[in-house]
Amino acid sequence: MNGNEQEKRPTREDLPGVNNGFGTESPLDYAFAVVEKAEAPRARGRGKIEVGLASEIAPGEKKIVEEGALSIGVYNIGGAFFAIKNVCPHAGAPLCQGHIQTTHRPSEVGKYDPALEGRVLRCPWHGWEFDIVTGKGLYDTKSRVATYPVTIGEDGKVRVQI
Amino acid sequence: MLKKSVPVVDCDIHPYATSETPLAPFIPEKFRQAVAQGQASQPGHGYQNPFGVNRRDVEGCSPQSWARDYLDLYGIAFAVIQPPGISVSLAHDIDVGAALARAWNDWQIEHWLRADARYLGSICINANDPAQAVTEIERCAAHPQMVQVIVTGESSLLYGHRFYHPIYAACEAAGLPFAMHPGAEGARTPSTPIGAAASYFEWHSTLPLTFMAHTASLVCNGVFEKFPRFKVVLVEGGFGWLPHLMWRLDKNFKALRSTTPWLKRAPSETIREHVRLTSQPIEEPPTTQQFLELLEMMDAQNTLLFSSDFPHWDFDDPRRIFPPRMDEKLLRRILGENAAQLYGLRLENSTENETAKSETVKSENREALV
Repeated sequence: MNGNEQEKRPTREDLPGVNNGFGTESPLDYAFAVVEKAEAPRARGRGKIEVGLASEIAPGEKKIVEEGALSIGVYNIGGAFFAIKNVCPHAGAPLCQGHIQTTHRPSEVGKYDPALEGRVLRCPWHGWEFDIVTGKGLYDTKSRVATYPVTIGEDGKVRVQI
Repeated sequence: MLKKSVPVVDCDIHPYATSETPLAPFIPEKFRQAVAQGQASQPGHGYQNPFGVNRRDVEGCSPQSWARDYLDLYGIAFAVIQPPGISVSLAHDIDVGAALARAWNDWQIEHWLRADARYLGSICINANDPAQAVTEIERCAAHPQMVQVIVTGESSLLYGHRFYHPIYAACEAAGLPFAMHPGAEGARTPSTPIGAAASYFEWHSTLPLTFMAHTASLVCNGVFEKFPRFKVVLVEGGFGWLPHLMWRLDKNFKALRSTTPWLKRAPSETIREHVRLTSQPIEEPPTTQQFLELLEMMDAQNTLLFSSDFPHWDFDDPRRIFPPRMDEKLLRRILGENAAQLYGLRLENSTENETAKSETVKSENREALV
């Protein structure tokens, strides 16, 4: 232990949420700002995975597809489709076997403000929360699960771009 | 052996009333009859150290003798008094409890703070009557040597409860930390959540349970989100448990944050910013390496304050309890600079005077003191 070379503890000003255009000031405000900004996931150019007919996945339901070692959950949230990697960054659990839930956005003390209805994935192993749309972990600034673009062709088929 | 020049702030000494320094004259006149007829009664926990609570080599208790035999001898720059009045909230009669708080505060001011500028006081309150507690905090906060508000770990409710928040608002407004001290555990309810300890040994060894519960309560109920400049000092409740509690809270936060959505950062971050712990009785793991690792795990360079518990039986000598080859910067932080920063004290021979700006708004008062 060397107290002389103490690691500088990040202050609130060092948080990525400050001065990044979100105008936030706490880790959780930052996490929810990422979620609400909802940037579209980027295609990585490694091809497509056929999921099946959109009509086979009802709103609030999911389908898990696999390509080699890659496992992805495809979710229908209110008629829109989203794909998220089926691995929890914490301990490698099959994330997409978790419950789909609603959460509360950061609030004043004693106030509850329901948020992200039907788009929160709770990992089946330790209960960590993730936003399905962005993959953002809802407990810090850094955690994020990979998400993928989803297309629905004129043939009614859902495809995930990996 | 620690260099004599390293400044020491002792965050826990225990003077008591004697025939030379009686409490009675400070009891507000209208309450003297109530006290005389027994209305100051409070429940006891019933545990007794069979070998006595005070050091056998300390004779008597007076501001002058302690200044000579303790402050001068050990090179103590400031010593924070934890008076017997810390437990007035236990009084059965709510108004007599508040009157006793007032009496103990005036007793400290007249007998101790007036005698030597190195003595610092703790404002006693009856926490069961927040309105009167706020009045008492506002009355005493003007005294430059009153540096914190003090209560016992034994309480009617966990301290995160909204019932107490007016007290915290008053503390924050006055720039005073809110400190708690054990010793009354078992007076109202069993000394552990399950039942009563069977001996003083068992009772004393499990006192940190109370402090763990209060710390979790203060964090989870959003006290530090509601009062962003509010600080808490956990006196004599141990500190080896802090890393465990921080890790456990942080881990559960990832799964259970939505049940307390007002928490906007990892609980450990909040604790490191808002909670300070005193060192005595110092943890004594089997090896020095384990001790130093524990300090690192709890971020002791920011969170730990030296205390001696003078003149009690489990007293810690600031010049002897830390490992000889400990990093001097860390040692200075623990022995004096963390407390100086918290209470707004100016230390001679400090390497950090320029940066040791008070974490509270009361700093101007404090600097005028020395």
